[in-house]
Amino acid sequence: MTAILLISSALFCAGVYGLLSQRHAVGVLIAIELMINAANLLLVGFGWRTGGAFGQSFALFTMAIAVAEVVVGLALILLMYRSRGDVQVDQATELAQ
Amino acid sequence: MNPLISAALVALGLPAALALLLAVVPKLRRTGKPAALLSILGSLLALSAAGWLAATWLHDPKQVLDLTTSWLPQSGKSMSQVGVHLDGISVSMLLVVAIVASCVQLFSLGYLSDEPAPALGRYYAYQSLFLFSMNLLVLAPDLMQLFLGWELVGATSYLLIGFWFTRPAAGKAALKAFVVTKFADSGLILALITLVAWTGSFSWNATLPAGGAEWLALFLFIAVMGKSAQFPLHIWLPDAMQGPTPVSALLHAATMVAAGVYLIVRADPIFAAAPHVRLFMTDLGAITALFAALIAMVQTDIKKVLAYSTCSQLGYMISGLGAGSLMGGYFHLTTHAFFKALLFLAAGAVIHAVHSNELSDMGGLWRKLKFTTVAFVIGSLSLAGLPGLSGFYSKDLILEAVHESGNPLALGLLMATAGLTAFYMTRTVVKAFFGKPSHAAEHAHGPGPSMTIPLLILLVPAIGLGWLAGPMSKLYGRSYAFHLDTIGMVTIALGLGGIALGWLIYGMGLLQALPRAFAPIARIANGSTVDDLWALSYSKLGMGLARAIAWFDRYIIDGLMNFLGWLFMWSGQRVRTLQTGNVQDYLYAVFGAAALIALWGGWR
Amino acid sequence: MSHLLSIIIAAPFVAALLLLPCRSTDRLLMRWISLLGSLVSLTGSLIVAWRYDIKAGGLQMAELYPLVPSLGIDIRLAVDGWGVSLLLLTGIIITTGVLASWTLKDREKEFFALLLILVAGVFGVFVCQDLFVFFLFYEIAVLPMYLLIAIWGSSNKVADAGPFRFIWKLFDIGGREYAAMKLTLMLLVGSAFILVAVIALYQAAGAHTFDMGVLGAFKYDASLQKWIFPLVWLGFGTLAGVFPFHTWSPDGHASAPTAVSMLHAGVLMKLGAFGVIRIGMMMLPEGAHAWVWAVGLIAAINVLYGALSAMAQKDLKYIIAYSSVSHMGVVMLGAATLTQGGWNGAVYQMFAHGIMTGLFFALVGLVYERAHTREVGKMGGFAQAMPIVAAFFTLGCLSSLGLPGTAGFVAEFLVFAGAWSGPHLWWALPAVAGAFITAIYVLRVTRDVFWGPGPSEQFHDLLDARKTELGALWILGTCIVLFGLWPRLLLDYIDPATTQNLAMATQTAQLTPTPATAVAAQAPPPVAPPAATAAVAHAAAGGGR
Repeated sequence: MTAILLISSALFCAGVYGLLSQRHAVGVLIAIELMINAANLLLVGFGWRTGGAFGQSFALFTMAIAVAEVVVGLALILLMYRSRGDVQVDQATELAQ
Repeated sequence: MNPLISAALVALGLPAALALLLAVVPKLRRTGKPAALLSILGSLLALSAAGWLAATWLHDPKQVLDLTTSWLPQSGKSMSQVGVHLDGISVSMLLVVAIVASCVQLFSLGYLSDEPAPALGRYYAYQSLFLFSMNLLVLAPDLMQLFLGWELVGATSYLLIGFWFTRPAAGKAALKAFVVTKFADSGLILALITLVAWTGSFSWNATLPAGGAEWLALFLFIAVMGKSAQFPLHIWLPDAMQGPTPVSALLHAATMVAAGVYLIVRADPIFAAAPHVRLFMTDLGAITALFAALIAMVQTDIKKVLAYSTCSQLGYMISGLGAGSLMGGYFHLTTHAFFKALLFLAAGAVIHAVHSNELSDMGGLWRKLKFTTVAFVIGSLSLAGLPGLSGFYSKDLILEAVHESGNPLALGLLMATAGLTAFYMTRTVVKAFFGKPSHAAEHAHGPGPSMTIPLLILLVPAIGLGWLAGPMSKLYGRSYAFHLDTIGMVTIALGLGGIALGWLIYGMGLLQALPRAFAPIARIANGSTVDDLWALSYSKLGMGLARAIAWFDRYIIDGLMNFLGWLFMWSGQRVRTLQTGNVQDYLYAVFGAAALIALWGGWR
Repeated sequence: MSHLLSIIIAAPFVAALLLLPCRSTDRLLMRWISLLGSLVSLTGSLIVAWRYDIKAGGLQMAELYPLVPSLGIDIRLAVDGWGVSLLLLTGIIITTGVLASWTLKDREKEFFALLLILVAGVFGVFVCQDLFVFFLFYEIAVLPMYLLIAIWGSSNKVADAGPFRFIWKLFDIGGREYAAMKLTLMLLVGSAFILVAVIALYQAAGAHTFDMGVLGAFKYDASLQKWIFPLVWLGFGTLAGVFPFHTWSPDGHASAPTAVSMLHAGVLMKLGAFGVIRIGMMMLPEGAHAWVWAVGLIAAINVLYGALSAMAQKDLKYIIAYSSVSHMGVVMLGAATLTQGGWNGAVYQMFAHGIMTGLFFALVGLVYERAHTREVGKMGGFAQAMPIVAAFFTLGCLSSLGLPGTAGFVAEFLVFAGAWSGPHLWWALPAVAGAFITAIYVLRVTRDVFWGPGPSEQFHDLLDARKTELGALWILGTCIVLFGLWPRLLLDYIDPATTQNLAMATQTAQLTPTPATAVAAQAPPPVAPPAATAAVAHAAAGGGR
């Protein structure tokens, strides 16, 4: 169990690091996926530990949502590329102007 | 209801109703003549009511009748009463007002015959309003109602002076008259609120705390100084001559300016207990009398002569009342009302004939205007105090009272004034009616009947009222018997001397050095030093302060508010730079905060 | 339970709703709907005055509709003698206001709808006996003003000068959006103070009700009162034009369209003064006694300051606007005296000044519409082209300077007398001086605008008042004279109510009337917690269910 927690934490931290440091929008998206997977891992792990199918089914549910989210995210990135010509997130500060 | 009270209510209500009618029915007002006739009819009815009342009171002078109703409720009680208060004083004043007002209204019909109909209607609406206001003042049961009438006559005076409102001078004069008297009226307001704070009512008979009477009398006298044109608040009266001449006769000679004197007569219980203020009144009245008489000597405008002479005679009245002679002051008010109205109306007839106020445009008018000349001369002689005419008796009363009060200074001033009065009136008479006719005087035309009849009516009391001093005195609750003593004889001598001197200089062309000696007086009068001082204090002090405050308000107070607005906008701008727009910056903040919270939770 | 008061409040609101489906081309229909809505309220106010039992006094015609029972918020309506007078005032002003804006040409539907909603709020404040709903109505009355001024207003450029001139670049100072924004922001800051005070009162009483009768009867801790009272005073005082928070008033009134100026200066400013008296002085008597010196001092400043500022103005509307500041000073001064005469005068002045300033703004709007300028210096001789306007303007001036026979006199005199018989004698002096200064500037304006030789060429389309405007002028003019000649028409309502309300304001006071001058201050022996209110509450509870 400790291993699972550690791996999950490591995954999550990697995700946070990626989220904050990646400039490329796709990189950011991947980082977010990492964090979701960290959460999934925990779900599955705790589900296995407590017994029953609740954790596993919830993980499946989360995956489905993650898919949808990736679709929306990629669409956004595509739109961003079309309108701006690049997908650097630190360049997109129009709202603050 | 007592028929006498009904009569008083008619005298009060009828002009009010007419004024209201003329004000709210423009169609009637714009007809001119019919409106005028209606107003004259109203004044005549008021006159007959007043006449009946006066006859009753001459019969039974002690009678006092009241009809009042609560006007201002306070704490469930009545603070002020309005209604009518009939006694010898109010009834005799009512009669004076009614007679002069009727004469003036009748006279105006001829005098203003060239005015367009709507203007004439407006004039008579004002006249009716004035009669109502004046009667309201006269019949007042307490100081409050007297104040109501007091201010209302001030307002009608404002409207009537500004009757020819397209003339800038008239607008200026009306404004000045109102503002100066309003300034003085602050004193009356102070008196009223003091009275009600001390006694809970506005009655002039109320018992006052020790020493209170002096304060009250002082406050009241400030108002009197404004209304009755006493030095140094007399400055509005000469300017008020911008109004039509009949208005000057009624308001600014006979009745309204005498309201101040009437106030002192009514508030006699208060003034009687205020010896210091009375002493001040005696002196100030005497100073005003002499000062105004001096200025009157050099005026070239016939109305201005009469205006300053009014000032001067009001000074007499105030001085007499100050000396404690209610009879003298009030009787002089009565006689003065008649002979000064007569003088003004006669002057009006002259002005109507030559279309100018200037004495230089007159001269030799006696050939064309015989009756007017007689009226003016008799009025002048009465004013100069020729024995047998009404002015003599009342003036004599005042001089004796001042003498008895042991005030030789005031007595001397007043005696000198008596001589000067005779002198300047002779000058005016000679310049206007005798001597070489001017161009305008050659083409003068005589007055019509609507102008001569009022003159004729006013001639009677101007000549004979003095002989009625005995019965009149009973109306005021005093007694009177004529006797001629040293003061009287000296006054007669001074008056005759003044007339003779005037005739020598202006009639026969002798002693021309004397008029040249008046030059410095002319400078004071025409440069109007007092006037300038007031004007200066208004434009420099008043307006300066006003401008400073307006600037302060606009740029400091308002500026502070704007600064506050600016401050918020500025700080907003500063805070705004925290929003970089970079998503990752925000995420740093989010995760940083989450980490901090987690740490804090763990630490606890 | 009679529904008269709710009808009075609802009528303008319903009329506003009825306006919404109108097509914007139905101009006459919209005007008639607005006029009818205000006439219903005016008639209702007259019926209230008719049915109000003067002998019984106290709060009458109570109505109760539960709103949020869990917090003790109810729509609790009742009217006393003050309410009667102020209802009448509001009814008269809104009716004449609609008449005066009959010729408005721009987006009438929205204009009249906002105007009517605003006035519904005003009616509500004057009759509401529930603190929360009182505040609610107050906000309803204040907020539409922003749109009314910003959309239909007029601008007046103000040259930059003074130490804050750098700000001129940033704001459009003198512009109508600026004026509207300033007015709204200042009043809302005031509202924030009031809200704090309202919640503090509710919490401190702990009775779980906002009933003003109950809250008023509760004896708050003296120290609490001492810090809540200034909040109430400044909060409501901002609307009443209390120095130095009056600066929204000249700009706001000068920028606002005619009917809005009439309503704002005529009624809304009274709301502020009413709030100070009703919430501040009556519910926080000890706080009031602790602060009354400041209230009176500032009111005295207001009177003189407003009058002197008005004297130096060159813009017709600004003159009238500053005169409102000065006259509202008289109201606050009367309130601060805490005497029968002072309070009678304060309420009477609310009425008199409302009518008078309504008349003024109606006339000024009318002159502005015809002359296309508000610069007094450029005008002159207008009386020949518009004699009726000139006559009514003169009447307004005479009332403004406190001429006997006009409503203004009665009010001012009562305040003078109240101040003179109260503990702070000298307050009467600036008030009297203010009346004199008023005489100077109003009469000077009359002369400059209306008198003198005929109007110059540039004013070729000066028309005298039209029929609807004439109606408004006659109503207001008649009121000025009527209530000036016979003050008992109103004072018979006001005086008993003052006695009762003053008892509330002095119930815990250690302040003794000064012996020599006690006459006007003869407050009746402190009535135990207002019996009338309690009775009403019972009656309402009985009849409401």
